[in-house]
Amino acid sequence: MDRAEKVGLGVAIAGHVLLFGLMSLGFLDTPNPVKLKQTPVEVSLVPEVALEAAAPASSEAPSERVSPQEGEPEDAAPPAAEPEPAPEPAPAPAPAPEPKPEPKPQPKPQPAPKPAPPKPAPKPEPAPKPKPAPKPKPVAKPAPKPKPKPPVREAAEKAPAKPTAKPAAKPAPAKQASASKSTSSKSTSSKSASTAKSSGKPAAKPAAKQGSGASEKATASRPRGGRLGDDFLKGLSAEPSKAKSSDAPPSAARVDGAALAAIQQAIARQIQPCADKQVDPGPGANQIVTTLNLRLNRDGTLSATPTVVRQRGVDDDNQRYARRVVDLGIAAFKGCSPLKLPAEYYATANGGWSNINYNWKLR
Amino acid sequence: MNPIVNTDAATLSPIALFLQADWVVKGVMLGLLLASIWTWAIIIMFWLKVGRTRKATEKFERDFWKAEDIDAFYKSNGNADLPSARVLAAGVAEWRRSTQGQVIDREGTRDRLATTMGAAVAKEIDELSDRLNVLATVGSVAPFVGLFGTVWGIMRSFTSIASQQNTSLAVVAPGIAEALFATAIGLFAAIPAVIAYNRFSHGINRIEARLNRFADGFHATLSRQLDRER
Repeated sequence: MDRAEKVGLGVAIAGHVLLFGLMSLGFLDTPNPVKLKQTPVEVSLVPEVALEAAAPASSEAPSERVSPQEGEPEDAAPPAAEPEPAPEPAPAPAPAPEPKPEPKPQPKPQPAPKPAPPKPAPKPEPAPKPKPAPKPKPVAKPAPKPKPKPPVREAAEKAPAKPTAKPAAKPAPAKQASASKSTSSKSTSSKSASTAKSSGKPAAKPAAKQGSGASEKATASRPRGGRLGDDFLKGLSAEPSKAKSSDAPPSAARVDGAALAAIQQAIARQIQPCADKQVDPGPGANQIVTTLNLRLNRDGTLSATPTVVRQRGVDDDNQRYARRVVDLGIAAFKGCSPLKLPAEYYATANGGWSNINYNWKLR
Repeated sequence: MNPIVNTDAATLSPIALFLQADWVVKGVMLGLLLASIWTWAIIIMFWLKVGRTRKATEKFERDFWKAEDIDAFYKSNGNADLPSARVLAAGVAEWRRSTQGQVIDREGTRDRLATTMGAAVAKEIDELSDRLNVLATVGSVAPFVGLFGTVWGIMRSFTSIASQQNTSLAVVAPGIAEALFATAIGLFAAIPAVIAYNRFSHGINRIEARLNRFADGFHATLSRQLDRER
């Protein structure tokens, strides 16, 4: 072994010792090794999933439609809304339910005494019939959103149909005072709509003809909302209506998973003394899990003998004890009632311990 | 287990991995570690020896071809610790032996000179490449040895799974880590060995070619001298 070999051997040994020493001291160490130790996690088994989430009711039911149905003042109301829709079909189907265009067409076909501008027109009409007019408006303001829209749409889209029919009513008043009541029914309106599309003038006329035909019926079916004024949206604010909110049940009185588990544990704890007294009928009997249905009174007493919902864990060995286990469970409940359970969960919107299932098992 | 040494398998400590290993795997690891040390010793030795030899040989040959009088050069430099010097010495020795007698067999002398110097070159190359076979062996065998250790260690891990009836990572991971450590050491030893083997084989071949050229040149010189001898 010459000098070069000695040098080489020395350097090699020194290098290996250095490298492995450094690695042993943590050099090149895995920076943050994942901890493989298992930390115990507390698990509570809930036999039944909560019937419903405990969160409070999130939305209120839409308030009811109130306005359109009210009031006889058909005559007064119709004037306001009708003038608008009726004209629409005639001039152009597109135009919005704006009163302006509408009134004009009407005047043309029928040189009625109300050549006045759109808005003015409705007003003058109410004047002759003071009572009806006021009513529709108040109604319109409180009216919920859903309602306001239908009238508008009807005015705009169905305009041809009903509007024409209504116009019929108007024209009638214009031409004949008696015709005022003769508003067309839906069928008439639909028919008139087709006619209305062809031209504004014809629409008005047929409407008038048909309207005059069924005057009484027309008045009955009238309250479609057509009598809503142009400003029926005025009273609506962004604030949601509180109409139904007061009816909702209190949100706290709902049983959720945690409450259910707490009730189950309370029952288990309270029947434990009685369960301990029961004699284990034989080997394997404690493998049987019996689901008992408890009917409880508000004071915690049993209102009926517990009934068996189902049994699990029964096999060939402990089959003969199954019936006995049920009897022992019922005896335990009878011996240790009344149960003291949280009163607020006795009966809630989604269940409670008035009628609850319990998994009975010998220890 | 040794309480003093940190045997936490979560660290990459070779000592921890070694101490936790099976005795078979321990043997494999130790053998591979020695192989690695030996490999690196040879690499460093070669590095020093070949590099120095090449430089010294170049200088020697340059000086030799510049020298006016081969006898004088041989007297001053002939006993240098160099392959070229030994080839030169072998040639000169054979020349003197062949030309001592009254009658000179020129062809025989030429053959003997060539044979002698060729043998000298071969001897030098043999000596130089003495340890290369170790590198070749380590380079080819170490991975398999490491693999053997790994297979053995993993088999042992599986038996521990079977005995503990537990397949959690905490049971399996340390055994597999220590088993893989055997392959890691095998590769650690083999990779430098293979690289160095190829590199030094190339270096040895170049030295051999150089020595052969020198021997041929010296043979040609002696052959001319032989023609001039009367």
